[in-house]
Amino acid sequence: MDERAEDDHGEAGRSGAPFVVLSGITKRFPGVVANDDVNLTLAEGEVHALIGENGAGKSTLMRVLYGLYPPDGGQISVRGQDVRIHSPRDAIALGIGMVHQHFVLVDRFTVTENIILGAEGGPLLDMEAAHAKVAELATRFGFGVRPSALVEELSVGEEQRVEILKALYRGVDLLILDEPTAVLTPQETDELFSNLRTLREAGKTIVFISHKLDEVLEIADRITVLRRGKVVGEATPSTTSKEKLAEMMVGRPVLFQLEKPDVQLGESVLRLEGLWAAPALRGVDLDVRSGEILGIAGVEGNGQLELAEAVVGLRPAVQGRITLDGADVTAWSVDRRRDAGLAFVPADRHGQGLVLTMSLWENSILGRQDDPGFSRFGLLLIRKIKELAAKLIRLFDVRARSLSAPAASLSGGNQQKLILARELESDPRLLVAAQPTRGLDVGSIEFVWSQLLEQKSEGRAILLLSAELDEIYALSDRILTIYEGRITGEYSPDASPEQLGLGMTGDQRQEEAS
Amino acid sequence: MPLLDLGAALALCFKYSTIIFLAGLGGLFCERSGIVNIGLEGLMVIGTVMAAWGAIEFGPVEGLLIGLLAGMVFSLVHAVATVTFRVDHIVSGVVINVVALGLARFLSQFFFGAATQSDSGIPDLPKLDIPLLSSLPWGLGRAFENMSPVVLLAFALVWPAIWVLKRTRFGLRLRSAGENPEATRTLGVRVAPLRYAGVMISGALAGLAGGFLSIEVNQLYHEGQTQGLGFIALAALILGNWRPIPLMIGALVFGFAQAIPLRLDDFFLWSWLPEQFIRMIPYVVTIVAIAGFVGKVQPPAAAGRAYEGAGGT
Amino acid sequence: MAVAATPAPARRLPPWAQAVLGQALALGLALALAALVGGVIIGLYHESPLAVYATIWRFSTERPSDIGRVLENATPLIYSALAVAVAFKAGMFNIGVEGQYLVGMVTAAATAVTFDSLPAPVLLPLVVLAAMAGSMIWAAIPAVLKVKTGAHEVVTTIMLNGVAISLLAWAILHPLRTSDTGLVDLRTDVFPEAAMFPTIAHTFGLEKQLPDSVYLTWLFPLALLACVLVWFLLFRSRLGYEVRAVGSSAGSAQAGGISIGATQIKIFLISGALAGFVGLNQLLGDKGFLGSNYEAGLGFAGITVAFLGRNHPAGIAVAAVLIGMLKRGQDALALETSIPIEILIILQGVLILSVVVAYEIVNRRIARRRQQEVRAEETALEGGG
Repeated sequence: MDERAEDDHGEAGRSGAPFVVLSGITKRFPGVVANDDVNLTLAEGEVHALIGENGAGKSTLMRVLYGLYPPDGGQISVRGQDVRIHSPRDAIALGIGMVHQHFVLVDRFTVTENIILGAEGGPLLDMEAAHAKVAELATRFGFGVRPSALVEELSVGEEQRVEILKALYRGVDLLILDEPTAVLTPQETDELFSNLRTLREAGKTIVFISHKLDEVLEIADRITVLRRGKVVGEATPSTTSKEKLAEMMVGRPVLFQLEKPDVQLGESVLRLEGLWAAPALRGVDLDVRSGEILGIAGVEGNGQLELAEAVVGLRPAVQGRITLDGADVTAWSVDRRRDAGLAFVPADRHGQGLVLTMSLWENSILGRQDDPGFSRFGLLLIRKIKELAAKLIRLFDVRARSLSAPAASLSGGNQQKLILARELESDPRLLVAAQPTRGLDVGSIEFVWSQLLEQKSEGRAILLLSAELDEIYALSDRILTIYEGRITGEYSPDASPEQLGLGMTGDQRQEEAS
Repeated sequence: MPLLDLGAALALCFKYSTIIFLAGLGGLFCERSGIVNIGLEGLMVIGTVMAAWGAIEFGPVEGLLIGLLAGMVFSLVHAVATVTFRVDHIVSGVVINVVALGLARFLSQFFFGAATQSDSGIPDLPKLDIPLLSSLPWGLGRAFENMSPVVLLAFALVWPAIWVLKRTRFGLRLRSAGENPEATRTLGVRVAPLRYAGVMISGALAGLAGGFLSIEVNQLYHEGQTQGLGFIALAALILGNWRPIPLMIGALVFGFAQAIPLRLDDFFLWSWLPEQFIRMIPYVVTIVAIAGFVGKVQPPAAAGRAYEGAGGT
Repeated sequence: MAVAATPAPARRLPPWAQAVLGQALALGLALALAALVGGVIIGLYHESPLAVYATIWRFSTERPSDIGRVLENATPLIYSALAVAVAFKAGMFNIGVEGQYLVGMVTAAATAVTFDSLPAPVLLPLVVLAAMAGSMIWAAIPAVLKVKTGAHEVVTTIMLNGVAISLLAWAILHPLRTSDTGLVDLRTDVFPEAAMFPTIAHTFGLEKQLPDSVYLTWLFPLALLACVLVWFLLFRSRLGYEVRAVGSSAGSAQAGGISIGATQIKIFLISGALAGFVGLNQLLGDKGFLGSNYEAGLGFAGITVAFLGRNHPAGIAVAAVLIGMLKRGQDALALETSIPIEILIILQGVLILSVVVAYEIVNRRIARRRQQEVRAEETALEGGG
């Protein structure tokens, strides 16, 4: 990252004038104070980074600014005037726009239809004029996007540009970007940054919410750090470092690296040969041995979901072969594969992991309800199941009020722990873990990581799919990059992020280590 | 006049297709806004009884309007339940159908003195013969004689419907509420009023369809005269992929299936079947159509969740 | 500290008690609303709502024969509602109970008339099984279509209802037509006594309290047994577990190895089997033949009862008796007041609607409170680590 061209950081406010000032903003939700007396000054013509951990209050603060939440205290002023922002409409009228982390685009509409929704300019639509205006905006700021393209055909980077254009079309001067690079490849990130610089030159203000410190140091003019609802520090890239920022964010020096146990690798447990799965997996070969963690690094949307689901059996293989401990399981049902020793920690906890309306004890045997230990003659052996549930909860320190509480009453971290405990309890040969720590707090992340490393030393094979390079580095023995449904390179954990980044964009292919 | 039977069948087909199309078009606007409406049948029932009363009391045009308004008002129940209280759409639709039956009986008793039917001979609109088409040879012309103006009006509605959906602000916003309500909300456009509008349009058009049935087709009200046409409209909507022109074609196909037992029962293909089995034909056609085509259709994304299976309690 | 104090979790009800309390509250609110609406309408007819409600109550509880009639009404409703509820747990809507029980009546009648020489202990169970088989087949069609082609069961079941009506009409006109010539009604032969369900009155010698006009048969206690069995099925059996998982979170169920299609078909067949019992009381308790004057509408009434009972076997039993009382109330209204009986149908509609809405509201509040607790916990975790 240090090799990149020196960014010409704009002076803190080219025009010098503060554009938007937040003073003493407080926002409470039941049980928690999300923003606690926050002061923030945003100047014209700058890129201002807002950093902090999950739950620090960065998104909440910006949603207050954008009118999605009313503040419980404090004042906002725009160009020196105190204002009240009751809704996104008000915010847009004041020149404030927001691009959310999860895009809100209508797939079946065209780019232009998405952009003009809500700003049609009259009861009748004049699509030609709209197309022209969109095209003009795109050219002016260097965004390459076709106005008449359907959104469902666009790439993630292009979708983001549409979201930004939505704001620009409405003439905003301040653009809030919430975790914009979470879904971009390193190359797309570069393009985004170049667009942001253009916008800054034009006098716009960008608020860049992120937890990725390298990027923040690269693009921001000024940085504000939030922790548990309060501002704990301000900095500029020239006066700080990644470590100092991390420490401000978390409040203590962060454990970035765990001890990886040294394990003798065994036989191949999982082998994929030429695996194709609709729509995005295009021929994957790989091999995971017992005692090994194989990390698949890639930006979401490049086939990881299809890969995980195909291995588990939730998605049919259009072509190719899946071998588990020597047996060809390509045509086997999920149930059969689980019986053969497959376990799955899904990326989507709620949609593929737990049944939220069911109790904890019921969820603890999901997938094993037909084991002779848990049901006989078609009836559930409730006492046995509850014993198991109690054991799982104790071993993995899942904080819950009672076994009968619905799974929905657990926090995200505890839900993930329950799923992990359940899957490991079945003593699997192969564990497929997809984004296992997404959305978890630091404590839970460390727990899950150490658990996975421990499983490795017990001889299990683990297929890890993750978009977080930190996680890939911390856990993997070998790393494969995936791009557009194909494996594009194999690396050791010593490889640099640049090298991985190239693999993640398919720019470089390496011969697979045999 | 060898094709006279066919001509008569087509004439009846146009009547049934009108009912199916009107109800289906209403359902289209409703579902495109994101609210599934299986209560079209019940809305139609309310339309039949209220319109019949209106026609007797004032005249056919007033009757049709009253049927339309009654459907719209009754549909507010569905709107409030689904949009404001976020009740499951299918559950609310079932309730609409059940309540409509009871309400219709009550109203019928109140207006006509009998719980299940009115007197016959309700005043209706003057009928037209379509020029040129009604002179078709071999008896086919029969299909275009004596046609109710509502039939023409109904099919003519296709064009304004398409125009509203594609070329107006309302149409764009309505569709976005059905495809991605969150996107709509974050742009400052309120979803609830759009969905209320969608539901009320379906109520109005289903009510009008009912009114057409009791005033123009049967010239009386009787319980059960809707014969499941509201559900067939739903099927036509699914088959038509929630688009106006395919819906119209689907309505014609199903309308024809309805006419078969009544005008074409001695057609050689099925004349050997007992009468009761011929009556089954429209239902079987609907099932086969749905089962055969459903894999390839795309409901509006937000409403579609109901079609993929409800999340039970 | 940035974390606001959270209320002490000590004095909280266990989750299941909360749920029951919430549902009872919802039902209570709904009943109150329906009573209010009904009261207004009754007032419009210049009668006193309280007097009318009292009359309805009296007609249902004053004499043993009244109670008998209420329970007789409730019997088919329990089976019907169980059929609907069981499918609903899997996330499916069985609106086809209406047609399924018609087909069940046809197959039952065919069996009763064909095997008329068999003794009662053999014939009666055989007839019941025939009813179940007929309705299960009728339920299998939409289930298989849904799983194999994705055809939505709401439309297919309703279409099949229509087909069933014609099927029954054909059956009593042609193959099963009575050999008794010169008869005005269309019906089958009268069933042998061996095929009829014994009445409670007959078994316990209560003919004085429950005269012949009260058709309270052993199907009623059997219905209560069915409630218990369905509860066991849903909450204590493996299939019930899988059904609830599929109905609540199909993706998670699938990831756990549960076959969604197989589960849906199995439960829909069970639903169909229950539907087969819906027509048995009128067929084998009351009439003793299948004629064109059969009682229809029990399928839709079952949906009402299922929603009122919140799709739970215990609630269904209670709701069925309640609706049974309302049905008896029709006689009360007709005999003692000037109010049209259709009011009761409207009241039923208002009742379901208010129950459903009230339940949503209560549910929403419980969910919101839970969200707060979760969020408070998460923040505490981050702070404490």
